[in-house]
Amino acid sequence: MRNEQDIDSPTLAARFFAQVQVVGIDALLVGTSFLMVEFLFLAFSGRRSATGLLLTAEGILDLLHYGWIAGAAVLVAIAWSATHGIFGTSPGRAMVYGLAEEERDLPWSQTFLGWFVAILIQLTFFSGWLITELDLVSFLTKFSKAADILNGLMHPQASILHQGAVLLVQTIFLAFMATAFAIPVAFVLSFPSARNLTRGTWASRLLYMAARTGMNFVRAVEPLVWALIFISWVGIGPFAGVLALWVHSVAALTKLYSEQIESIDTGPMDAIAATGATTLQILRYGVVPQVIPPFLSYTIYRWDINVRMSTIIGFVGGGGIGYILKPRVDLGEWGEVGTLVLLIAATVWLMDIASAKIRERIV
Amino acid sequence: MIVSDGVVPAIEVSDLGMVYPGGVRALKGVSFQVEKGEFLAVLGLSGSGKSTLLRCVNRLLDPTEGSVHIFGEEVTALRGSNLRKLRCRVAMIFQQFNLVKRQTVMTNVLSGALGRSRLLPSLLLTFPQAERARAQAYLERVGLPDRGDSRADALSGGQQQRVAIARALMQEPQLFLADEPVASLDPALRHSIMRHIEILNREEGLTVLCSLHDIDLVTRYATRLIALRDGELVWQGLPENFDQGIFKEIYGQEAEPASNSGY
Repeated sequence: MRNEQDIDSPTLAARFFAQVQVVGIDALLVGTSFLMVEFLFLAFSGRRSATGLLLTAEGILDLLHYGWIAGAAVLVAIAWSATHGIFGTSPGRAMVYGLAEEERDLPWSQTFLGWFVAILIQLTFFSGWLITELDLVSFLTKFSKAADILNGLMHPQASILHQGAVLLVQTIFLAFMATAFAIPVAFVLSFPSARNLTRGTWASRLLYMAARTGMNFVRAVEPLVWALIFISWVGIGPFAGVLALWVHSVAALTKLYSEQIESIDTGPMDAIAATGATTLQILRYGVVPQVIPPFLSYTIYRWDINVRMSTIIGFVGGGGIGYILKPRVDLGEWGEVGTLVLLIAATVWLMDIASAKIRERIV
Repeated sequence: MIVSDGVVPAIEVSDLGMVYPGGVRALKGVSFQVEKGEFLAVLGLSGSGKSTLLRCVNRLLDPTEGSVHIFGEEVTALRGSNLRKLRCRVAMIFQQFNLVKRQTVMTNVLSGALGRSRLLPSLLLTFPQAERARAQAYLERVGLPDRGDSRADALSGGQQQRVAIARALMQEPQLFLADEPVASLDPALRHSIMRHIEILNREEGLTVLCSLHDIDLVTRYATRLIALRDGELVWQGLPENFDQGIFKEIYGQEAEPASNSGY
């Protein structure tokens, strides 16, 4: 009874927080659309800089009235929130509370929200066209410059085949070592990262938060950046590449493993707990046997991804085939580039098939 | 059934209540006793709180109100190693058998001994020779002497539940909890499982607390019944006193006794 009331009447703080969320989301979306309108207006008004040149998209972005528009957007958001009885549900309100009952069955064209989202998408598309400097003319008329490269790629040169093959072996082993070292670390980390195993105590919830946050951060940093970090740590070469892919693989595998743990059948865990087993024994008997096959499958998949990544990790000095590919690209040795690209493509293709076949057998 | 003076009951449940974290109330003010050697059946519709009640006894769930005493010992607030000691004495079998499917039948039975095993060897799935011999003896007892090396999920449902019984016996328990032990089985196999439990109860004096929803099974095997409805105890008595009127009271006026147990 007490609980039902709690659900019906959330605390003042909770309602205030929800309201702030509604206005925040609305202000963000309204502000973005205002900015895009100003951007498009300036772009099509043919404004020139002091030197008389037509302004670039970047130049226009510099000119926009961010402060004024942010203020206006917040006002509009508050106004919409106050008048949602008249203008209908705002995007922020829809995300926080869901659509109002009477709007659920209406087609988009009959709601204010529908028109707002439709216009927002149009504005985004046209602004994006200008900001990314799409240039269909160049794309359609200047193919001949790229023809050299394509021609080189079509005529691979055998001169670099031997060196490429040697480095390809290094690439595959680099990916393998990174994956192998990642398995035990990710295995251990995946248990505290699984929601269903960390509900018990405050300490375990804290552990869950720490593990998840740390892993998300590590995963957000690209392997190429990790490679730069490790190159200055252990020096240029394949070992730096192994470390870079290892760090990234630990984070990625921890996530995949822990999601697998979250989807296990809890029945055997209950049964093992009921025998008087300790937590470690419950994990060993009730959880581990269930997750080993999917873990294997994900690990092979990760090795496959690591092979692909290790071909470019050499671009920054992390060893592998990318290490000789980069200078060939810079020098315009397109024939040799073609040979290396073919080697990489064949390897990735073979890994892809092999990994799919093996994973099919396991699960 | 026999009110024994001065003898401590096997289970004493007092004013037990359970509210799940989401706010759903599963049990309310449930009180009853189970004497040593009884076969007490818990009746009720699914969702009436039978599973919750059983899980509060061996503390797979923490009740939010009231208390449970097992052989006189208060268990409601046990933690850590004391809780594990309690669980060692209380075996449980489940509707879905809950075997570790990818392990062998032998390892599943041996896992019943985890509570008294040394940690490191048990994590490596190794057990002393004496325990293995004991596990083999229990497998023979449930009629599966030569299935020890099979993977658990290679067995039929009835066989899996018999392995679960062997795992429970491996605990050398003083109390035997059974949560709808035959509800997932073919009606023709139900009596075979119930008879195994009956033998433990009648011949070895093991106290049994068993939730069941099949009236035929209840009246045939139980020595006493209690009935739950919406988390509250609505009736308790002997199988011979159970009749149509009480049935309607427990299951609602619309219900009809189903006879599907192959009499």
